[in-house]
Amino acid sequence: MSFNSVVNENGAIVISTGDRLTIETVGEFFSILTEVLSAAREVYLEFDPEMEIDITGVQIICSACKSACREGSVFLYRGLLPSSLLHLIERSGVQRNALCKHNNNSTCIWFGGTE
Amino acid sequence: MMEQTIITYREEAGELLAELETSLLELEETPDDSDLINRVFRAMHTIKGSGAMFGFDEIATFTHEVETVFDLVRNGKMTVSKRLLDLTLKSRDHICYLLSMSADEAVDRRDGDEIIAGLRQLVPHGVLSQKSPGNVAVIQLPQLSGDELAEEKTWRIRFHPEHNILMCGTNPISLINELRDLGVAHVVAQIDEVPPLSEIVSEQCYIYWDIILTTSRGEDAIRDVFIFVDDDCDLKIELIDSSGLIDRNEGYKKLGDILVERGDLSPVEMQKVLQLQKRFGELLVEQGVVSPEKVQSALVEQQHVKSVRKERSEAPQQEAAASIRVPAERLDQLINLVGEMVTVQAHLTQVSMAGGDPVFIAISEEVERLTNELRDTALNIRMLPIGSTFSKFKRLVRDLSGELGKEIDMETHGAETELDKTVIEKLNDPLVHIIRNSIDHGIEMPAVRTAAGKPSAGTVFLGAEHSGDSVLITIRDDGGGLDRDAIRAKAVERGLLSATAELTDREIFAQIFAPGFSTASKVTSVSGRGVGMDVVKRGIDGLRGTIGVESVQGKGTTITLKIPLTLAIIESLLVKIGTDHFVLPLAMIEECVELSRGDVAAAHGRNVAVVRGSLTPYISLREQFGIAGERPDIEQIVIASVQGVRIGFVVDFVVGEHQTVIKPLGRIYQDVKGISGATILGDGTVALILDPIVLSREAALAESAQL
Repeated sequence: MSFNSVVNENGAIVISTGDRLTIETVGEFFSILTEVLSAAREVYLEFDPEMEIDITGVQIICSACKSACREGSVFLYRGLLPSSLLHLIERSGVQRNALCKHNNNSTCIWFGGTE
Repeated sequence: MMEQTIITYREEAGELLAELETSLLELEETPDDSDLINRVFRAMHTIKGSGAMFGFDEIATFTHEVETVFDLVRNGKMTVSKRLLDLTLKSRDHICYLLSMSADEAVDRRDGDEIIAGLRQLVPHGVLSQKSPGNVAVIQLPQLSGDELAEEKTWRIRFHPEHNILMCGTNPISLINELRDLGVAHVVAQIDEVPPLSEIVSEQCYIYWDIILTTSRGEDAIRDVFIFVDDDCDLKIELIDSSGLIDRNEGYKKLGDILVERGDLSPVEMQKVLQLQKRFGELLVEQGVVSPEKVQSALVEQQHVKSVRKERSEAPQQEAAASIRVPAERLDQLINLVGEMVTVQAHLTQVSMAGGDPVFIAISEEVERLTNELRDTALNIRMLPIGSTFSKFKRLVRDLSGELGKEIDMETHGAETELDKTVIEKLNDPLVHIIRNSIDHGIEMPAVRTAAGKPSAGTVFLGAEHSGDSVLITIRDDGGGLDRDAIRAKAVERGLLSATAELTDREIFAQIFAPGFSTASKVTSVSGRGVGMDVVKRGIDGLRGTIGVESVQGKGTTITLKIPLTLAIIESLLVKIGTDHFVLPLAMIEECVELSRGDVAAAHGRNVAVVRGSLTPYISLREQFGIAGERPDIEQIVIASVQGVRIGFVVDFVVGEHQTVIKPLGRIYQDVKGISGATILGDGTVALILDPIVLSREAALAESAQL
């Protein structure tokens, strides 16, 4: 099991990512996200600082963010973004300071916005 | 052809490494200077890229590691530290070593592996995947044709992978990284096609990329990056800017034009929005015509091309056509031919004046004018700024001060001062020895300095400036200064000086240049063996230069080298003894006075003359060279300043100023003391070039032997 835990904190769900969010594990993460986002109005990701991530991980976060926006749910992260994700954001060019139309025209909090 | 390419790579890499060293040393002083960080990164990047292209795989592999670290620095993920600079300077040395190895020689990788391991330790944990130092990937860059190297162009690339590309094992980020290796790239990932969770297949790729790339590599090199995914992506590559492209927009295209060109916006929609007269990008988003991501991507392209164009217009000196690379031997050949021409022109002038034909004289004067111009131009071609060697000395100071536990700052001045290329090369060893001595014997340990009321960090100053037909090079330190008494005692002990001699500071300090002279109580790894200053003396003598030493105990030492601008042609004084001609360097001559038989008789057999009330020793060149014949009733004393001391050279007749093209003496004559070369006069006869320094030294030795 790559994901450490899914915890319910007063109605808010916190998903710990574990140490790997890559094409090998993204399917499992997708299932958890889908289930959790349909059940809770507030979902938080907590990243392992040593987490390994590839472009599928970036995509699934973006996809989940879009879904949460559509449903009017909260989908945010707690703590710090891991350095591997920050590096991938920069190298892959997803870094943006533009408004996101899928996020009610707010700044993207995941890829270059502010918390 | 390939061999020539390799030679060119070695030369260019050498220049880049010199630039790298300078930048690193500057970076040590201003570690936050992003221009310097980028300069270091670019130098590494070019060395790596060209290395891989020309088969220097060891260099490419090794440099890639260092470049990767500097990429992190460039992106703010790492800071410049002393350890990083130490390792990068060592990397530079290791690349120099790799560059010096021929293809069939076995490479010693131990230093390289140690450096890479050190660099990896500096990288913040998790930023890079860890690999063992010996397991680094070789950078495979596409092979280039010569034309592709010529000009930088900017390309707009849209890379739209098929959804299943990830499942085929392809990592699009690796492809994008390969594009980054080709030049300067701005990458924008488009995420508008990423569906919500209800529609996504998490292993598929929905992101596509817009890349604006400025590179000197051609379109083929870009296509080669995608060669293995050709069938799994939609790839669009368009040339959007090059120096030859005519574009009416001075900066770059307007945002709307870019979006229309990309197919992200229709011309009709653009016109509709333009009529609203707001900021175009905002209007597009407000109207919902174009997504913010698309606008951002177009803005990235606009900024990228604008900055490339700005850089291009601000750096005309970088244009390839502005300079050409010429082998140094060809320049030497040119100087030799110009030398021959000066000699023939002198002959022509002599013959025309003797003939008295005004037309012939006019032609000869015109030839003389042109020859002088040609000579000056040819000599100027070989002139290089001395600053190119300064960074080497900064490195020396940095490394040695660290080794000796001293704090030393180096200041330089006059880096732009130009000197003949050969002179600069020959100055290297003497300067190394002088600076080493300053660091080791001159500058005190921090505690000693503080106790003496000095700042704990010492200063070594290296400066250059023009002075007539010479260059003055000053090496000054604020260390302990020379110990006059210790030098004198040592010189007396070694029989170099008489214990009772009345000597000036300058004469005593001159003893430090004697072979094997050292007052150091211990020999360090840096100096103390008494070899250095002798090397300095011989080196500077070989350049027909002079050395001056001034020192105040407790305050520091200043060594001044006076070096002629060029070794090829000198202004000189032509003199005659009997039927033989000799030449003395004009720069050393102070005046000429007559020497009558009466003056000789008044000196009672001693070779001294009273010149304006002062006794001036002289050397009779007729006696020195054993020239037969009658001495004229009135001879001439040519008085020269030899290392600050006035010495006369007695000749029969002073012919006048002469432009001397220096020819080396043959092997048989090269050990004749007091003769540094020869020159051919206008009538074809040979005149020997005298070396006043050696002549006076020999005379002093002969005199002390008689005593």
